[in-house]
Amino acid sequence: MAGLLVSHLNIKPGQCIGIKGIVPQDCKSFVINIGKDCSNLMLHLNARFDHEGDVNTIVCNSTVAEVWGEEQRETTFPFHQGDGAEICFSFDKSEVTVKLPGGHEFKFPNRQSLDEVNYIAVNGFHAKGLNFD
Amino acid sequence: MSKFEVRDLDIHKGQTMKIKGQIAGHAQGFSINLGKSSSDLGLHFNPRLNDSVIVCNSKKGDSWGSEERHNHMSFHKGSDIKFSVQLHGDKFEVKLPDGHEISFPNRHGYDKITYMSVEGDFKVTSFKYD
Repeated sequence: MAGLLVSHLNIKPGQCIGIKGIVPQDCKSFVINIGKDCSNLMLHLNARFDHEGDVNTIVCNSTVAEVWGEEQRETTFPFHQGDGAEICFSFDKSEVTVKLPGGHEFKFPNRQSLDEVNYIAVNGFHAKGLNFD
Repeated sequence: MSKFEVRDLDIHKGQTMKIKGQIAGHAQGFSINLGKSSSDLGLHFNPRLNDSVIVCNSKKGDSWGSEERHNHMSFHKGSDIKFSVQLHGDKFEVKLPDGHEISFPNRHGYDKITYMSVEGDFKVTSFKYD
């Protein structure tokens, strides 16, 4: 499965994480996790084309020591199978801002008030490039 | 010392990895490692700024191969740079910031790179491959 795992990062509030890549033609769902490590995710973003009963929905959540929080759903869904896409993340102590293709934007609470991102994992999305500005 | 690690990459023969970043003002050196895991590297690329030398090597099952040294130094302390590495069937071709190219044999015959790490006094600001 197309993916990428980046660790030992040191991204601070105000910096932007950009992930550019291609949505596979047969994609049912893809995931981008950002956080402290695999057990403490500031944001789990799951774009579902057709997965677990959701169609064209972004499901977001977070974890604290592997325990999931409450899901948040976005109905904006600017992704297309087989197309390129870029997603950007920035954060401060209170929330994460997610910029989607086409200029759409939404926010998700930074529930643990994490002040650093050290871990990024991508699954089901063919990431071709990352930038940290 | 910082260590930046990327797993599950999918760089195929013919593809190029482009890396941008900043060399620390106090930098002594850094290394970029490309391969299958931290124990199996097709290319360990290690510019040593204080000695004005780039040391390249490979690693298999945690054992280093024999070093190759290049005296062309185009990395400078405190600078923003970009360079690229292209994977070929028989070699890695590294394009340095000043355009000079050095190559290193693809000793393990890798046709795919899945692992990259960056260690030392270099901060990656972006990477991409195609």
